[in-house]
Amino acid sequence: MMERTEDLIARLAADTKPKSGSAMRHFIAPLLLACVLCIGATALVLDDPFPTYHLRGWLPMVVKWGFSVSLLLIAGLALHVLGRPGRPSGWIIASLALPLVYIGYFALPLLLSGDLPWPGLAWERCLIAMGIMSPVGFAAAIMATRWLAPVDTRRAGFVAGLFGGGVAMTAYAPFCPGEGALYFVTFYLLPILTMAAIGWLSGPKLLRW
Amino acid sequence: MNQGDRLDLLMEAARAGDEAAYRDFLGEAALRLRASLARRMNGDAELEDLVQEALIAVHEKRHTLDPGRPVAPWLNAIARYKLIDHWRRRGRNPVVLDDTADGEVAADGFAHVDVATLLDQLPEAQAEAIRMTHIEGLTGAEAADRVGIGHSAMKLRVHRGLLRLKDIVAGKA
Repeated sequence: MMERTEDLIARLAADTKPKSGSAMRHFIAPLLLACVLCIGATALVLDDPFPTYHLRGWLPMVVKWGFSVSLLLIAGLALHVLGRPGRPSGWIIASLALPLVYIGYFALPLLLSGDLPWPGLAWERCLIAMGIMSPVGFAAAIMATRWLAPVDTRRAGFVAGLFGGGVAMTAYAPFCPGEGALYFVTFYLLPILTMAAIGWLSGPKLLRW
Repeated sequence: MNQGDRLDLLMEAARAGDEAAYRDFLGEAALRLRASLARRMNGDAELEDLVQEALIAVHEKRHTLDPGRPVAPWLNAIARYKLIDHWRRRGRNPVVLDDTADGEVAADGFAHVDVATLLDQLPEAQAEAIRMTHIEGLTGAEAADRVGIGHSAMKLRVHRGLLRLKDIVAGKA
């Protein structure tokens, strides 16, 4: 250390400019920016949104967006909680299972009934989109969380990965012709969990403060 | 009034712009951090370094303490995090203190370089420790007394500084 503790205290005490009030700029802005960037870029690059609408109406979108949007909202909220030392976080981590429960309600009957078309339409494009955009959302989540003070950096990294996956799925889902429970598990859920695992492994390094 | 209440009140006053209250808050926080860390560090020479690291973290991250929430759990969580981080670093880069090792850093290796310039490349605390013990000729205990830290902490600073100097010189060679 550079100095005696008493001198350090005197120096720190002289800097009383408030650091609050910029949560919008530091925490929310990177998350919003990642969403806008991924959704905007996907809309610019891909044609023919909502390809299943004429056959199945809005239900596939309600299912996919219901999952992905709730995942990214809960993950964003979880990062906000995890970034505040001393705050109980078990409840928000548990609530990350809600999107899974929601999708399970639609997917389980299909899985149990053996209605398992696979791999489905345009699965390669889905994987590429998830592979490109998940890291963008993840990077934004890491940047946002670094402004806070996560004391469980593995957990925060894991949630940042879920956020990244949620952003990617939200952006790509409107252009996805793929359907079915196995399609969802293979080309959405697995990439999201992979991003979360990467976050869990790299969290202590990326979020150290 | 218990300690937690005092910290809460001081933080509240500090938020209103009372610099003296913030200084008292940091002083109180330092006492509690030191007590809490000392219990877990079991005589570790780097206790005061860690107290200072935690204090800087408290200051830098004070925006993560929401108004109205108690300070104590927040402070304890920061202390725990800093301690775990310290152990992680220690695990990756264990430092073995050896009284004789520092003297064995080849003095001749430094003969061709400007020591003052080299010391400028070190963190100030390490440079100061080396100046006192290897240039001014103070004993470790005297140097430690002068800057108000423990003898072991001073030895650690000298040790780390010399190791870093060695790397710098090796890099230039």
